Amino acid sequence: MMFEPFVDVVPSFFGWLNQGPLTLTIFLHTVIILPMFWIYKQEKARIEREG
Amino acid sequence: MAKRSVWSDNRFWQRSAAWVTGFASILLIWLTFDTSAQISMGTDADLQNGVTKRVPAPTVINYKITYEMDTVRGHEVPVIGEKEMFFGRDDWSEEEAAELLHLGKLGSQSKNCMNCHTLLGNGAYYAPDLTKAWLDPAWGPEGSLQSMTGKSSKEEAMAEFLQHPSQYPTHARMMPDLGITAEEAQGLVAFLKHMSSIDTNGFPRNFGKIKGAVHGK
Amino acid sequence: MASNHLTGVGSESKQLATWYFTFAAILFGAQLLFGLVAAIQYVMPGFLFEIVDFSVARMIHINALVVWMVFAMFGAVYWLLPDETGIETVGIKIGKLLFWVFAGAIVVVVLVYLLVQVGPATESSIWLIHEGREYIEAPRWADFGIVVVALGFVFNLFATGMKGKQTGIVTVLMADMLAFAGLYLTGMFFTDNISVDQFWWWWVIHLWVEATWEVYVGAIAAYGLITMIGAHRKVVEMWLWIEVAMLFGSGILGLGHHYFWIGTPEYWWEIGALFSALEPLPLVAMFIHVLYDWGKTQGAEEAKGNPASVINNKPAFTWFVLNAFGNFLGAGIWGFFHTLPQVNLYTHGTQFTSAHGHLAFFGAYATILIGMMYMAVQGTNGIKVMKSTKSTIAATWMIAGGVMGMGIALTIAGYVQVMVSRAQMGATWAGYFDGQSGMWFAQAMDWRLFMGAVTMLGFVFLAKDLLSIGKATHHER
Repeated sequence: MMFEPFVDVVPSFFGWLNQGPLTLTIFLHTVIILPMFWIYKQEKARIEREG
Repeated sequence: MAKRSVWSDNRFWQRSAAWVTGFASILLIWLTFDTSAQISMGTDADLQNGVTKRVPAPTVINYKITYEMDTVRGHEVPVIGEKEMFFGRDDWSEEEAAELLHLGKLGSQSKNCMNCHTLLGNGAYYAPDLTKAWLDPAWGPEGSLQSMTGKSSKEEAMAEFLQHPSQYPTHARMMPDLGITAEEAQGLVAFLKHMSSIDTNGFPRNFGKIKGAVHGK
Repeated sequence: MASNHLTGVGSESKQLATWYFTFAAILFGAQLLFGLVAAIQYVMPGFLFEIVDFSVARMIHINALVVWMVFAMFGAVYWLLPDETGIETVGIKIGKLLFWVFAGAIVVVVLVYLLVQVGPATESSIWLIHEGREYIEAPRWADFGIVVVALGFVFNLFATGMKGKQTGIVTVLMADMLAFAGLYLTGMFFTDNISVDQFWWWWVIHLWVEATWEVYVGAIAAYGLITMIGAHRKVVEMWLWIEVAMLFGSGILGLGHHYFWIGTPEYWWEIGALFSALEPLPLVAMFIHVLYDWGKTQGAEEAKGNPASVINNKPAFTWFVLNAFGNFLGAGIWGFFHTLPQVNLYTHGTQFTSAHGHLAFFGAYATILIGMMYMAVQGTNGIKVMKSTKSTIAATWMIAGGVMGMGIALTIAGYVQVMVSRAQMGATWAGYFDGQSGMWFAQAMDWRLFMGAVTMLGFVFLAKDLLSIGKATHHER
C-alpha cells in the first residue's frame, strides 16, 4: 500500500500529509526553506550588478 | 578580489526573515482554520447518530463515558456508551446541558481551578490533573472518594466535595473552600464530565488502569 | 568607544524609561514574594490556608512576572529609541499618561486578586475579578486597558521610527511589538469549549514567549552589544536578521507542541515536535554571537595596543552574557527536554514544566531586562565606564544561583512525578498524591524553597544596588 490508512478522528489535508513520523514536517520545512534559494539568487544578481 | 558573499549580506537575511515569518504565519493561520473546524463542539444529533467528535455536545452528560485503548490509533480514546443517569436524569435537553456546561466553565474560571490543578494538562501542579477526573476510579462505586462523601453516585459525591472541600481532606494539602454553591457544583461536575469526553490523543496515558504498581494500590 | 547611550540626562524618553524600570523592579519583588508564599505552601500546606491560598499566591506570582517584564520591555524600548533613531521619542506625553494608567490599573488588579480572590460563576466575575486563565488572568476590563496602553506604546514606537533614523534594530522592534500587542487580542474572549479556549490561549502565551519576546530579546541584545562593547552595527544587525528568521521560522509553528493533548488533531504531534525541536538553534546562535562579538571587539582593541576592557558597563554586560547563556539553557535545553510528544505524554502537566518555566523566564527575559536597568542607571548618572560593586556581585550570584537551584530541584520533583504519578500510577488522584508524598519529591520542594529564599535575598541586594550604584565613586565618569 502506497499510503498509510487515515486513523485520526477527522480526515483533513494536514492529517493526510502526516503519513509517518516525518512526512508532514519535512514537507512544511521544505516549502518554507525552498523560496530562500530564489531570494539568494536575486540578491546574488544584485550584488554582482552593484559590483 | 573575491566577490562579496550573499551569505554575509544583510539584505539577503532581512528578506529571508520576512519570508520565513510571513509564510510560517500563513501556514499557522491555515492550520488554525483546519483545527478549529475539528475542535468545534458536536451536536446532540451527532451523539444520537454515533458520530465521533473530538469535542462532543454538552448532552454527552446523558451518556456513560469510558476510556479505552484504540488499537488503530495506538492510544486510549474516550468512548461514549449507553445512556447514564446524571443527577437523577438522562434526558438533559440540548439547552439545559449547554446551560449547565456554561455555568461549569464559568465556574472553572471564576474559582481559579487552573492555578492549583491542571486542565487538559495545563495550569498549576499543586493539585491533581482534572482532564479525566470524571473517569477516576476513586470517584466510582467502590472508590474511596465516593465513599468518603457518603453519596451514592459519582456526580453527587463530586458535587458534595466541591461544596465542602476542607471537610474531606485527601492529603495534608487540602482544597480550600471557594464558596461553591450547589448549583455551581452541578455545573462544575458537568464541565468535568464533558472534559473527560474530549479526545486528547491518549493523554493521560493509562489513566486509572494501573493497579498494584506502587505499594500494592 | 560607543558612548551615545550617555544621553540619558535630558531625554524625556529615557526619563520615562526609568519610570517603567522602577515599577518593573517593584513588581519583580512582588513576584518573588508571592512565589515564596507558594513555595512555603508546598512544604507546609497549612500556611495561609484559606487566607492567601496557593491559587491566589500563584496567580499573583505569575501575573506579576508577566507584567513586570512587559513594563521593563516598554521601558527598554523608550530607553533605546533616542539612541537608535537620533531623535526624541514622539508622543512622550501620551507615553507618560499611559504609564500612570497602566501602573494604576495593575495596582487595582492585584488588590482585587488579594482581597476578593474568587467570585461566583458569572460573567461579571470574569469582567471584574479575574479570568482564571493562567498567565492572562487579568479581568476583562483590564484587558481593554492593556490594549489601549499597548496601542499607545506601539504608536509612539512607529511614529518615532518613521520620523527618525530607522535602523535594523528599530525595524525589527516595530514589527515585533505590533505582533506582540496584536496577539493579546486572541486571549480576550470567553467560550464554553475548553479545547477552543486553550487553543487560543496558547496563541497569546506561546507566540509571546517563544516568538515575539525572543525576537525582542535579540533586538535588545543587538543594541547592548553596540552600546556596551562597541560591536560593529553591520555585523550585529546581520545576526539579528538571521535570528529573526530562525526564531520565527521555528517558533511560530513550534506552537504545535502545545497542541498535543488539548483535543486538537494528531497532526500537531509532528508539526509541534519538529518545529519546536529547532527552537534551541537560534538560542545557541545568540549565545555564540554575544561571546564571539565580545572576543572579536576586545581582540581588535588589543591588536591596536589598547589592553583595557571594551566593556563600558560591567554589571549590565554580565547580565547580558547571563541572558545569552540562560536563554539557551533554560528555554533551549530545558524546553527540548520535554518537547517531543512521546516524552511530553508523561511530562505534560508536571513539575518538569515548572522547572522549564522558571529557568526559561529567568534566563531568557529577567536577565536581559535587569541588564537594561543597569544601563539606565549608567545613563542617568552620566557614567562613562560603570564597574560592579560588592552588591552587584552578591545580587548576580544569588539570583542566578537561586533560580538555577530552583530549576534543578523542580526538575528532580518532575522526574518523581513522571515516574510515580504518570508512568506507574496512571495519573489518577491517588497516583498524583503518591508522587507528591515521595521522599525525593518532598526533598526537592525543600530545596526549591531554600533556593527561592536565596533568590529573594539576591533581589534585596539587586534593589539596593540599582538605587545606590550610580553614586559609587569607583566608576570612570
